Amino acid sequence: MRALIVDDSRAMRRIVGRILEGVGFEVLEAGDGQEALGVLEGLDGPPELACVDWNMPVMDGFTFITEVRKRSEWRSITLMMVTTESEMDQIVRALAAGAHEYLIKPFTGEAMLEKLDLLGLLPTSTGV
Amino acid sequence: MTISPQAFTFVRELVRAESAIVLETGKEYLVESRLVPLARAAGHPDVDAYVADLSKRRTPAAMKQVVEALTTNETSWFRDSDPFTALRQNVFPALAKTRSNRTLRIWAGACSSGQEPYSIIMTALDTPELAGWKIELVATDLSEEMLTRSRKGEYSQLEVNRGLPATTLVRHFERSGLNWRINQSIRDRVEFRSLNLTRPFPPMGRFDIVFLRNVLIYFDLPTKRDVLKRVRQVMAPDGHLFLGAAEMTMGVDDAWERVPAGRSSVYRIREAITVRGSTCVH
Amino acid sequence: MTISSAPDEALVLAAIEQVWGSMLFASAEPWPTDRAADFGSGVQAQIELRGDWNGRLVLTCDSDVATQIAGAMLGLGPDEELPELDIHDAVGEVLNVVGGSVKGALVGTWALGLPGVSETSEAPGRDESFVVSWGDAPVYVQILPDAA
Repeated sequence: MRALIVDDSRAMRRIVGRILEGVGFEVLEAGDGQEALGVLEGLDGPPELACVDWNMPVMDGFTFITEVRKRSEWRSITLMMVTTESEMDQIVRALAAGAHEYLIKPFTGEAMLEKLDLLGLLPTSTGV
Repeated sequence: MTISPQAFTFVRELVRAESAIVLETGKEYLVESRLVPLARAAGHPDVDAYVADLSKRRTPAAMKQVVEALTTNETSWFRDSDPFTALRQNVFPALAKTRSNRTLRIWAGACSSGQEPYSIIMTALDTPELAGWKIELVATDLSEEMLTRSRKGEYSQLEVNRGLPATTLVRHFERSGLNWRINQSIRDRVEFRSLNLTRPFPPMGRFDIVFLRNVLIYFDLPTKRDVLKRVRQVMAPDGHLFLGAAEMTMGVDDAWERVPAGRSSVYRIREAITVRGSTCVH
Repeated sequence: MTISSAPDEALVLAAIEQVWGSMLFASAEPWPTDRAADFGSGVQAQIELRGDWNGRLVLTCDSDVATQIAGAMLGLGPDEELPELDIHDAVGEVLNVVGGSVKGALVGTWALGLPGVSETSEAPGRDESFVVSWGDAPVYVQILPDAA
């Protein structure tokens, strides 16, 4: 499985990347929405998952998911916002625009894995 | 990087010896994520180095910390997910066919900070078969502090990130400063009470569903047996008992039978199954 | 939890405690006002907040502290080195998350800018900041309204 991480912070991309690699994802990265669209264009097929920050330069994450949802060939991508934007209105907007899940920063690795479990993207279910 | 098989095996054996909880293969990421803070605090670059050091020194205090980190009160919403799927898809629809008064009574027997009873209510609201039904949920805990927290229904950002689908957050919560608060309409549906499972239960009536997850593991065998026997006495004969994934009634109280429910399983009182079985045949 | 309509010290401190605890595996304590808060040269991160109140949150810390914060965030061992660019990025992201938490807690509609990070040779005055602990070291926090 492949995941695209879209975040302007290299540190955050590294943290999310490590969590995803830990459960078997091959990780691709982009620093803003525009770059991420370019990465998707260049792939032979869409990745299973995209983790998308909201506030980024050039193209923000909200615009990015709106663009992704316009393209039928990318319909299979599961979109998860991973952002510090945490107002109710913002979450509602992102879900309405096509995000499947929403993880608010700060988060722990376990919280991200539980979100992947909700999305059916974990090899095993969670819990002790 | 994930935890090495050697480190995982060491931690699994340690946790099994100390708590009787079995960490199945596939839980490596869980061990890793719970132990990272301990590894960092002890100055190790990663969990493997920390576990290697621990297995060499075997410091009792550090070993205890590891066991606690892996068995500590879980605070996720819809914890383990499968039991809640079973509730919505199997248990609620089955009971909905047999209760002409359109009322279900549920007991959450170790509610901790409230995520479990609130998850049960939110699941009931998502079950079409229960539309318009009355759900009476009694949630109990030994700790007054936990009951106070539960009644308030306020959770930190970190807590609402744990296993709660974003659509559910949006539907049933509101912001309260840095925190989130579960809506009053949900809070009002749960009655929180103090209760010690090891003592005789106060009058509570009969329950159709009992959640008693991850609490029996802390009791010795005679206490487990006694609690399970008294739970039977407050349950409807065709009621459903949910235990934790690592818990079983087998060899403890054989009046229970384990019945599959979706990807999870529930416990039913044995006589009830026989009676039900014979009525089904006709 | 009190509900505020503009960022104040209590709210920013609570957000920092949450971020330190969850992203950096550390605790943040208010630094006593009568305790010296020594500072050589270091890193300053800022982020804009726009809404009923307009201004910025500014975080200033010693270079060593910035390195440690980045290391904690990325889970690096004591011997692993990070380029300055990555240290700045990590400190900026920490402030971004603090800023987002503060913004989410405020009543009304707000917008958050992108974090900017630069070198600084001077700590802010104690009278125009509050100080929180990073281990045994100080981190200066400022809530600066735009100049009228």
